[in-house]
Amino acid sequence: MNFVRRIFKNELPFVFACPALIWQFLFLYLPLCLIMIYSFVDVEKGFRFLRFTFFHYKEVLNLLYLKVIINSLIIAIFTSMICFLISYPVAYYFSMKVKRFKTFLLFSLILPSWTSFIVQIYCWFFLLQKNGFISFFLYKLGIISDGTHLLNNYFAILIGMVYCYLPFMILPIYAVLERMDKDLIEASADLGANHFQTLRRVIFPISFPGVLAGFLLVFIASFGEFAVPDLLGGGKNVFWGSVIVDKFLIFRDWQSGSSLTAIGVLILGSLFLFIYLLNRFFISFLKKGISYNGAR
Amino acid sequence: MVQGRRYFSRFATLLFVIFAYIFLYVPMVVMVIFSFNDSSVSLSWKGFSLRWYINFFNSPQIIKALQTSLIVASASTIISVVIGTAFVLCTSWWKTSFLNNIFYLNVILPDIILAVGVLSIFTFLKVPLGYCSLIVGHSVIGLGFVVPIVRTRFEELDPELTEASLDLGAGYNQTFVRVIMPLLIPSLIASGLLVFTLSLDDFLIAFFCSSPNVQTLSIYVYSMIKTFVDPTINAVSTCLLVVSSILVLLLSAFKVIDKVIAHE
Repeated sequence: MNFVRRIFKNELPFVFACPALIWQFLFLYLPLCLIMIYSFVDVEKGFRFLRFTFFHYKEVLNLLYLKVIINSLIIAIFTSMICFLISYPVAYYFSMKVKRFKTFLLFSLILPSWTSFIVQIYCWFFLLQKNGFISFFLYKLGIISDGTHLLNNYFAILIGMVYCYLPFMILPIYAVLERMDKDLIEASADLGANHFQTLRRVIFPISFPGVLAGFLLVFIASFGEFAVPDLLGGGKNVFWGSVIVDKFLIFRDWQSGSSLTAIGVLILGSLFLFIYLLNRFFISFLKKGISYNGAR
Repeated sequence: MVQGRRYFSRFATLLFVIFAYIFLYVPMVVMVIFSFNDSSVSLSWKGFSLRWYINFFNSPQIIKALQTSLIVASASTIISVVIGTAFVLCTSWWKTSFLNNIFYLNVILPDIILAVGVLSIFTFLKVPLGYCSLIVGHSVIGLGFVVPIVRTRFEELDPELTEASLDLGAGYNQTFVRVIMPLLIPSLIASGLLVFTLSLDDFLIAFFCSSPNVQTLSIYVYSMIKTFVDPTINAVSTCLLVVSSILVLLLSAFKVIDKVIAHE
């Protein structure tokens, strides 16, 4: 059959690759360009009158929206830090200590994050709501008075975020630690380093790329989060994602919504670049350190 | 002294692991238990009942939302697997990483930006929102997973196997059916399952791209949480939980999660 032979000879016409490329450009890259264009032009009466302007950026770059963006950055940093603090020991334990049922245990750890996102949020909503499970226990313990609302505060948002994104931090760190040569730890101990020194000088530097990857994943996801603050935060805390939703779906203010999106893309892009460079720099630094020690 | 410290470090990390499991599972377990509660107030146990499940299956709106979810998930799975596989088969000779990087953005961009993008292109082209926009949005996300998974598998294929098969007298057709397909199909099924799971779980794209009369189940659950709290949500959520867990179990059977981890 002609078609099959062409696959083997690697001479299948390029036409078959086109649907995916068209799909990708039409529904991913073109929309991104469209958002950029929207943010720079004035549109009046159905695209009839187009004018280049910075007005929307001027409108968006005031104290109110800056505060919203800084708010988002802060919660993203908090989320990724907390996720890091919890998941580093967990990943360490899984890669170093667990011998039996490793796959199963790891699998059960990431199972919750693969279930429906909205259901995960609802679980916390159910726990934290008025007269819910947690407030009931705290009431029995005498910590709070009856009927206190545990929802609609910063803490609830943070818990929801960490809950949803914890496995995204565990997995990259685990993947790096698992590949690591375990003899290095023994070598380090033989050379007289104690546990903390081994962790600081050997294990952590090796796992650093994984930490960066996890940090990036969690940071990007939690920066653009909308559902968690909306359901658990109750509209008091406003974030970048919720403003985007308001602009596009409620006010139908496409231009300033687009400029806000563009600013968000810019922030995330520069973060991505920064982490990429940091990783490169770190790897070259490690290599230099090794060669320096070798020369000595 | 050193021995003691070692036990301490082992104990401390174990503590973190236990905490992580409790943290991840307690909310779900509580939610599932209370979906069987025979009381409309959330925290007063009145005994076991399947009332809310019966409610769930008797509600035409929920069934309709479920149907929409399934239709959208299957359509976007088929689209992204078919065009993704065609893309991989056609460009396997192109050894640059550029082609992988094209599809990198689908995974790394926050959903909200993808959703805004799909919304803006559909409004720009004046196509009404509905099934079309939902399927497009989900298949764009799916493509970002299908292409790397299938490509990795395709590159792992040993060219000597096809050569051996051809040497032993099998035709191209037979080689394709008997050698290539059995090796490639697990990755196709796995990536398909992954796209299906992601599509069922997705909230933001559905939130932006659905019209009032075409709503997915996650949108329906969202609006239920927003408007009133009735234990029917618990029943719906439990069912969603079970479905996604089964899908994830299947995924783990195909070892796709390891690949996704490696890819990320």
